[in-house]
Amino acid sequence: MTESILDVSSLTVRFGGLVAVDAVSLALRPGKVHGLIGPNGAGKTTLFNAITGLVPQADGKVSYDGKDITAFPAHRRSEIGIRRSFQSVQLVQSLTVLENILIGLHTQSAGKGWRGIGALFGSDGPDHAEQQMVQDVAAFLGIEHTLFKGIAELTFAEQRFVEIARAIVSRPKVLMLDEPAAGLSEAEIEKLDRLLRRLAAEWNTAILLVEHVLSLVFVVSDEITVLDNGRFVIHGDPGEVARDPRVKSAYLGEDVHA
Amino acid sequence: MDRSISIKKAVAGALVIAGLLAVPLLTNGYTQYVVNLVTVYVVLGIGLNILLGYAGQFAFANAAFMGIGAYTTAILSSQLGLPFWICIPAAGIVTAMIGSLCAVPAMRTASIYLALVTFAFAELMVWVFINWKGVTNGSNGISVPAPDLFGYVLRGDKRLYYLLLPSCLAMLWLASRILKSYVGRSFVIVRESEIVARCNGINVGRTKMVAFALSALFGGVGGALFAYTVGLVLPQSFGLFQLIIHIAIVVLGGMASLAGAVIGALLLTTLPEVLRDFQSLQEVMFGAALVMVAIFMPRGIAGALTRLGVLPREMLVRGTISPKRQPDDRNLPHPAIPVAVGGQND
Repeated sequence: MTESILDVSSLTVRFGGLVAVDAVSLALRPGKVHGLIGPNGAGKTTLFNAITGLVPQADGKVSYDGKDITAFPAHRRSEIGIRRSFQSVQLVQSLTVLENILIGLHTQSAGKGWRGIGALFGSDGPDHAEQQMVQDVAAFLGIEHTLFKGIAELTFAEQRFVEIARAIVSRPKVLMLDEPAAGLSEAEIEKLDRLLRRLAAEWNTAILLVEHVLSLVFVVSDEITVLDNGRFVIHGDPGEVARDPRVKSAYLGEDVHA
Repeated sequence: MDRSISIKKAVAGALVIAGLLAVPLLTNGYTQYVVNLVTVYVVLGIGLNILLGYAGQFAFANAAFMGIGAYTTAILSSQLGLPFWICIPAAGIVTAMIGSLCAVPAMRTASIYLALVTFAFAELMVWVFINWKGVTNGSNGISVPAPDLFGYVLRGDKRLYYLLLPSCLAMLWLASRILKSYVGRSFVIVRESEIVARCNGINVGRTKMVAFALSALFGGVGGALFAYTVGLVLPQSFGLFQLIIHIAIVVLGGMASLAGAVIGALLLTTLPEVLRDFQSLQEVMFGAALVMVAIFMPRGIAGALTRLGVLPREMLVRGTISPKRQPDDRNLPHPAIPVAVGGQND
């Protein structure tokens, strides 16, 4: 088994008296898709937010590339290579697709720091190489024709892919997707499926996928972790997980005694 | 093809600058004074637009920033006899430093509370201008000597214009270079969603501090230019009414738009002069215009003109690579995944 890039060990998140995530552990491996499923309120999004540093954790440890990042604020975590998408599309309506995706390259901008001042005031503009990266990632996702359009001119699926483009344009080692298939058609979900496989295979990205569309999760994931009520239920390959009676009762809503 | 476009651009730019330089040929002393005020308010409008329009911070300290810049200039030039090319940058730097301190409440409080805190700061500054008599000369104000360039005194509004116009253009250029980069984009994403900003590696606190410092820099330089234009710096010049003019410039002209700051400054400086004979009407029209724009043109006049195709879209990136110039099958190992664009979903 390949060495993991992101290790979450017994992570706990409390909101007042409520334990939203209760000592959950999971590991992400480069080039593998890790599915995270569970019924509503299972704590998937909270776990997501804790890993990205958006909500403080009460206990546990997060390490990335062998380094303890538990104390890192959210912007430092994304800077070192943990990027995410959001459940609801979070794009800037007043900007073009190109500018929206460029936001994902903030930390790598050639215009940054004292050395970047020359690039900032140079005649070419500071974003020459960055724009090339955006064009490459847009071509990879098949949205290069939208680069100079406003967000409002895009279909919902295109907006989703623009958000994924912003998350992956910096070539992060860890990509976390929060329900990327929500609202997409069958055909679009199939494209998402192929995209995730290519990201894992060609870019060697470690992907954490929260998804309610089970047909996608069970097909694309290399391993799956199931949560219920903030607690860890089972971890295994899709076949094992699908057969587990607790998963059937907790998530698929089937009777355990059958 | 690209070269002919850039030549056209250069010719158009040269014509505009020649036209601007020729303005004093068409003005009398009074209209020249109004033109000078326009150049000052362009800089002030950019300053507030950086914070309010781009970074979305409800900070209402711009009139105070302007006052700090104006007093810095007045004190440095009248007490120490320093030349304008030291006074104007010094005013900008002093104000930027004070302005970045104003970012501290912005990191703790949001929207309405930030508005209250900055508003309180603005009122406090007016109080300081009035009561710190040893430095500001209280309500009597400080008169500012005419700036001179190596012995050539820029006395009179027409001569002063040749200091104000290059300063204004330089500040516009500076703003455009800074905003059309990761800086401008980080401001906008902080305005839209701090959570998304943080998840893209953006330090929200630092970004707000940069926005405040930059905004105050423009406010301070605008104040310095104002000091030279009016020749007498008085505390009551930097009160609530001044702030309302700045807000009106940004809202009428267009939020998050440099063209908006220019359009707003032009309108807000010239219209009151045109309507001077109808004093009572002035305020009514002022209010009516603000309400109309807020309802029908949420992104101001510049936004409306952009939508109509009169103004080009102001992008926060410079030197865009044309996608057409890229060959389609460039260094990608596999064909792209096409995304369904409607039609084939059902």
